Amino acid sequence: MSPEAHDMPAGFDATIHAPNRLRICALLDTAGEAEFGLVQKQLRLSASVLSKHATVLMDAGYVEQRKAVRDTRQRVWLRLTRAGRDAYQGHLAALRAIVEPADPAAS
Amino acid sequence: METNGGRPTPEQAQSALAEAEQIQASAAALSATPWPNWFFAALTLYIAALPIAYGGVMADEDWLLPGPSWTGIMMAITALHLGLFALAAKTWREKTGVALRLDVLPKRATVPLAIGLPSILVGSAFVFRFTGSPVWLFAASLIGAAASVGFHLAFVRLHRASA
Repeated sequence: MSPEAHDMPAGFDATIHAPNRLRICALLDTAGEAEFGLVQKQLRLSASVLSKHATVLMDAGYVEQRKAVRDTRQRVWLRLTRAGRDAYQGHLAALRAIVEPADPAAS
Repeated sequence: METNGGRPTPEQAQSALAEAEQIQASAAALSATPWPNWFFAALTLYIAALPIAYGGVMADEDWLLPGPSWTGIMMAITALHLGLFALAAKTWREKTGVALRLDVLPKRATVPLAIGLPSILVGSAFVFRFTGSPVWLFAASLIGAAASVGFHLAFVRLHRASA
């Protein structure tokens, strides 16, 4: 384990911290489930970039996809898994801990 | 926000949090998209009609119509409402691109409504049964319609405020 890894606050998740992946998780956490094209539009990402990051999140078990047909075209819907939601919330808590470190005198 | 694998600085962490909050706000605006007007009208009519139909079902003696007719009316409007709800939910999801969530409005507004409105709609029929006065049914009908309009306006405001 690198020295930096010891230095990370609890809950910090390097997979989620990548800027676009954090944004994807933020959107899915609030929306519950979102259509691929909508995520692309909201985050102003190309289809290939979104697909790449969504694949990383799916490989980590944080995001799952559902395919649905609309107007004869197949649409992909993305949603956070329970593990993804927990990891995202943990990561936000870790970021808050970095911004406002706990008072050592209080512990 | 790049950390090069190391611990983010407080500024980088703050920037990441701010960006996440901004995206959450725009997603919340989408989730607060009001129902289409046609379904809002249908829902309001259904809520207004329900206590009157249920009152007819619960009446000791025939009131305006025979009891079985009220039962038929209640079942028909409920089935119609469920069908329209399924259609509205589908078109809403396709239009917004996000999941339909029922927890968008604050709990301090939704919990009292979820408990109070069914109590009023059903309770008025019982009061009508014991008193024989249809005023209770019409009062419940008006309260239900007002609650439907109020919630629709709350969604419109929330959607505009967070958009």
